[in-house]
Amino acid sequence: MIQFFHVTKTYGRDLDALSDINLEIQKGEFIFIAGPSGAGKTTLLRLVFRDELPTSGQILVNGRNVVRMPERAIPQLRRSIGVIFQDFKLLRDRSIADNLALVYRVLGVPSGVGKRKVANLLRLVGLSHKVQLTPYKLSGGEQQRVAIARALMNDPLLLLADEPTGDLDADLAVEVMRLLSEINARGTTVVVATHDMNMVREMGRRTLVLKAGRIVEEIPEVGMARWKPAPRPVTEDVTI
Amino acid sequence: MDRLRYILEDALVNIRRSRWRALAAIGTIAVSFLIVGIFLIISWNLGALLSEWKEQFQITVFLEDGTTAEQLSLLKKRIQSESAVKAMTYTSKEEALHSFRRELKGKESLLEGLGENPLPASYQIRVHEAYQTPEALGKLSAFLGRLEGVEDVMYGQEWVDRLAAVVRILRLLGLSVGLALSLASVLIVSNTIRLAVYARAEEIEIMRLVGATKTHIRAPFLLEGLIQGGLGAGLALLLLYGAYRATLWQLQQAPGPILGMGVGSFLDAQWIGSMLLAGALVGAFGSLISVGRFLRA
Repeated sequence: MIQFFHVTKTYGRDLDALSDINLEIQKGEFIFIAGPSGAGKTTLLRLVFRDELPTSGQILVNGRNVVRMPERAIPQLRRSIGVIFQDFKLLRDRSIADNLALVYRVLGVPSGVGKRKVANLLRLVGLSHKVQLTPYKLSGGEQQRVAIARALMNDPLLLLADEPTGDLDADLAVEVMRLLSEINARGTTVVVATHDMNMVREMGRRTLVLKAGRIVEEIPEVGMARWKPAPRPVTEDVTI
Repeated sequence: MDRLRYILEDALVNIRRSRWRALAAIGTIAVSFLIVGIFLIISWNLGALLSEWKEQFQITVFLEDGTTAEQLSLLKKRIQSESAVKAMTYTSKEEALHSFRRELKGKESLLEGLGENPLPASYQIRVHEAYQTPEALGKLSAFLGRLEGVEDVMYGQEWVDRLAAVVRILRLLGLSVGLALSLASVLIVSNTIRLAVYARAEEIEIMRLVGATKTHIRAPFLLEGLIQGGLGAGLALLLLYGAYRATLWQLQQAPGPILGMGVGSFLDAQWIGSMLLAGALVGAFGSLISVGRFLRA
C-alpha cells in the first residue's frame, strides 16, 4: 500500500525531519509509527497524502508514485485516503453534520446519498444524537470521533491517524483504538502515528519506531493484539 | 449537477456570512458604475442632439433684391450641382416676412413702421453630413458667396463644432473615469474576496486535504465576485434610471422647451446588458486576483 525508498525530508538548511526512510506497509495492515514528538511522524504522514514533497527519495502509495505525481492528480490521491488530523481540523462554527457534509460536497456526491453516509458514520462512532451540535459543545473524545467519521466519509483504502489518542484519557483512548481496529477489520489499511509506547505495546501491532527522523526499531506484530476483532485469522495465535 | 449546486450554495453562503463586506463591495461598484453611467447618458444624449443638429443643419444663402427669375434658376442649378448639397428650398421675400411676423406673434406692431419688406429672399441648403466639417463648409460658403445674385451666406457651424468637441471630451472623460473607477472596483472586490478567503482559510484547507480540486475551491469565490459585480452594476442602473426620471421631470416642469428633440433617452438594452456584463466581469476579475494567489494544491 505504501512504500518509501530512501526518503529524506529537510526543512530549511540542515534540519532533517526525516532521513533515509525505507518502509513498506501492506494492504490491510494496521501499523503504528511511534516515537517522541518531533521525531518526524507527522511529516511522514503528510508525505503520504502529498501535503509535503520529500527532499529526496520516492514514495509509492497504492502503486502510484506521489513524488512525480502532477498537481492535478493530487485531489484524486487524497480522495482515496482518510486522514485524522492531530488537531482534528473541524470547523467550529458548523454542526457535526455540516462538517461531514463538506467531504461529500467536495466529492460531488448527491446530497441524499451523502446524508445517509453521514448518518451511518455517526452511528458507527456513536454520535448520532449530536448531529446538530457544533464541535464546541463536544468533549475532546467526541471531537476525535467526529474527526474519525469525517476521515471515513470517502470510504478510504488507507486511513492515516495522527495522534488519535493524544489528549484523551486512557478509557477514551482504548475506545478510539477499538474503533480504528474495527475499521481495519473491514479492510482499510490503518496507519497510526503515536507517542504512546504503552498503547503500542498493548495493541501488539507492527510498529516502526521513529527517532530524530530515522527508523530506529521495528517491532513485529505480536499475537496478543488486544483489540483485534475475533474473525481475523491472526487472533488464533493469541498467547497470554 | 450536484457539484454545481454545491458551488452555488457555497457562493451564496459566503455572501450571507460576509454580508456587510459584500454590501460595501456592491455599493462601491454601484457608485463607480453610476458615475460611468451618468457620463454615458449625457454623452449619449448630446450625441443624439448633435446628429439631430447635423441632420437639420443648413446654410442660408441670402439673395440680392431684384434678382430675376432666370438668374434664380441659374443660381439654383449652380448650387445643386455641388456634391455637398443634399437638398435646397427657396424662401421668397414675402414668405420670409410672413414667418417673421409669426415669430413676433403679439408684437406685430413692431413691423408697422416698415414701408417696404426689408427681408431678403433666400435659399436654405441642407448639406451632406460628410461635408459638415469646418474646412468643407468654409469652402462651400466662400463658393456660394462668390455667385452672382448672392448677398450673404450664413451658417451656425461654430455651434455644431463646439457641441461635437464637448461630446468628444465627455466621452473621453467618461472612458478614463470609467477605467479608473473600474480598476478601483476590481481592487475593492479583490479585497472583499481576499477577506472572504481568509475567513474561510480553515475550510479551504480541509477541502484541499480531502481532495477538492482547485476549480472546486475557486468556483464559489469567482461566483461570489461575479454576483457582487452584477448586483453592483444592477444597482447603479436602478439609481441611474431614478435620477434620469427625476431629471426628465424637472425639465418638463421648466418653462419652454429647454432641449431639442432627440434628447432625453435612457441607455438602450445593449448598453444596459454591457454594463451588467462589465460589472460581473469586474467582480470575477477581482476575485480571481485574490483566490488565484492564495491557493496551492
